[in-house]
Amino acid sequence: MAVDREELKQKILEFATKKSKHKSKMYIKDLYKAMPEAKPREVKNAANELVREGKLEFFSSGSTTMYGVPGMGKGLEEAFED
Amino acid sequence: MADVKKHDTPMVDDLKSGPWPSFADDIEQMGLKGKQECLDLLGQLELSFKHKETHWKHGGIVGVFGYGGGVIGRYSDVPDQFPSIAHFHTVRVNQPASKFYTSKYLRKLCDIWDHRGSGMTNFHGSTGDMVLLGTKTDQLEPIFYDLTHQLGSDLGGSGSNLRTPSCCIGKARCEWSCIDTQDICYDLTQTFQDELHRPAFPYKFKFKVSGCPNDCVAAIARSDCSIIGTWRDDIRIDQEAVKAYVGGELKPNAGSHSDRDWGAFDIQKEVIDLCPTNCMWMEGDELKIDNRECTRCMHCINVMPEALRPGVDTGATILVGAKAPILDGAQLSTLAIPFIKMEPPYDDFKDFVDEIWMWWMEEGKNRERFGELIQRQSLQEFIRRAKLKPIPQMVKEPRSNPYVFWSEDEVEGGWERDVKAFRARHAA
Ligand code: HEM
Ligand code: HEM
Ligand code: SF4
Ligand code: SF4
Repeated sequence: MAVDREELKQKILEFATKKSKHKSKMYIKDLYKAMPEAKPREVKNAANELVREGKLEFFSSGSTTMYGVPGMGKGLEEAFED
Repeated sequence: MADVKKHDTPMVDDLKSGPWPSFADDIEQMGLKGKQECLDLLGQLELSFKHKETHWKHGGIVGVFGYGGGVIGRYSDVPDQFPSIAHFHTVRVNQPASKFYTSKYLRKLCDIWDHRGSGMTNFHGSTGDMVLLGTKTDQLEPIFYDLTHQLGSDLGGSGSNLRTPSCCIGKARCEWSCIDTQDICYDLTQTFQDELHRPAFPYKFKFKVSGCPNDCVAAIARSDCSIIGTWRDDIRIDQEAVKAYVGGELKPNAGSHSDRDWGAFDIQKEVIDLCPTNCMWMEGDELKIDNRECTRCMHCINVMPEALRPGVDTGATILVGAKAPILDGAQLSTLAIPFIKMEPPYDDFKDFVDEIWMWWMEEGKNRERFGELIQRQSLQEFIRRAKLKPIPQMVKEPRSNPYVFWSEDEVEGGWERDVKAFRARHAA
């Protein structure tokens, strides 16, 4: 059963905004937790749509990509702390 | 003379005194032609030599609209001293299959880069892309526009994406190619555009395609999924040409070692004794091969290319999981599919890829390469998730791991047993 895209996007955004208060950069795997019943590829597609809408942004070291909420958080050192 | 400022860089300049051409010369010359970025780069390098620390910040939020890769953000952490390299982003450009270019294309690319970047390039990165070194954030969209509209080129992969697939020169120039490496590379690039440009994976993932087991793109060492051409029928033998090699009329290795006198060609010593599976012998002046035992190493074919050729029932061997991590050392890829026909539209191969990606996206940890997932969850789990049948070829050498684990449903009759009854007979 495919999940509702808009609902998924909403949940991802809420999850990311809440989480970014203490850790501003998230791996795609972290976003899976926003809606555990969604498939990885659905989460990826929804997260990418949020990036295109400017509600999330990519953050890349060159080798690894993370997601962040625009305006939240600091630099790279924090991003790669586990 | 362009209006540029050269920094005082005694330690960097010292690099020019060695016997080899130095990047310090090249970058300085580019700088003196009017690229302050190049001179600032050398200035910052001098400072790094002095402090024994890098002054680059690693990573950032850069990219072009709709893409999560292709641009690698780099920033100087001493921008006040070196303002022209406050931003110094790397742009990866997807190379054409097998890296064929027209000179017109290269001129145009260099013009774009001279105009909008530092003018410095790296042809090619280990992933295969053309690497354009050093530009500013506000130039990224115009560069992307020019690349796509003027050159018909796209950005390559970076970050937790599919990386730009790459291939050997294949059938375009090499008679040994058992598969159309360029078509496969291009097809995968097009099919997986979304995976290439939009991060979906725990970490990077690379496809590399070699036309034969000589593996000129080192797919087996450098790709998470290696596609290596092979054949399943017999090596084609031209016995007349074998005689010509033995008689000295044909030069072994196509004459490539003929700058020194190695003495007369000795087929026993140079070919037969070096066959890793000992499956060749002479009967009179005829060369015989037990093809069932041949491991397709290419040695005999490389030495006597006019006498021996790969078979005609061709396809590919698929291996997975190579990586070169800094901490635990290089790992070659592991055999997954000994033989698969590789013909367009490559559906069987793509089905396999879908299965393994699904597993990795579900189970892979952050920054865990595909090969590491196999190591962590076992080859057996990989085989199960990839929907493959275990076969003897998957076990290394004859055996480096003596254990085979069966699950109950794989064994006829299962193994129900009463632990209490067992313990009544056997002390714990
Ligand atoms: C002491 C300084 C540096 C260290 C220790 C370092 C370390 C690394 C490591 C470990 C990787 C591989 C990451 C991975 O694949 O897991 C990497 C990749 C990379 N680094 Fe650095 N780096 C340094 C400086 C720089 C500088 C100065 C630049 C550019 C100005 C740079 C640009 C890159 C790029 C473009 C990649 C490629 C990412 C990829 O191909 O996946 N690095 N670096
Ligand atoms: C002393 C100067 C440098 C040396 C000797 C050097 C050497 C190398 C080598 C050997 C590679 C691997 C190439 C390959 O295997 O294909 C590489 C990759 C790379 N270098 Fe450099 N490099 C230098 C300076 C720089 C600078 C100044 C930058 C950017 C500011 C840079 C950015 C990169 C990037 C982005 C890659 C990764 C390309 C890829 O794999 O996609 N390098 N470099
Ligand atoms: S890998 Fe084989 S087919 Fe490809 S270029 Fe090398 S020798 Fe030729
Ligand atoms: S390809 Fe290698 S294994 Fe096969 S016959 Fe030739 S030398 Fe032996």
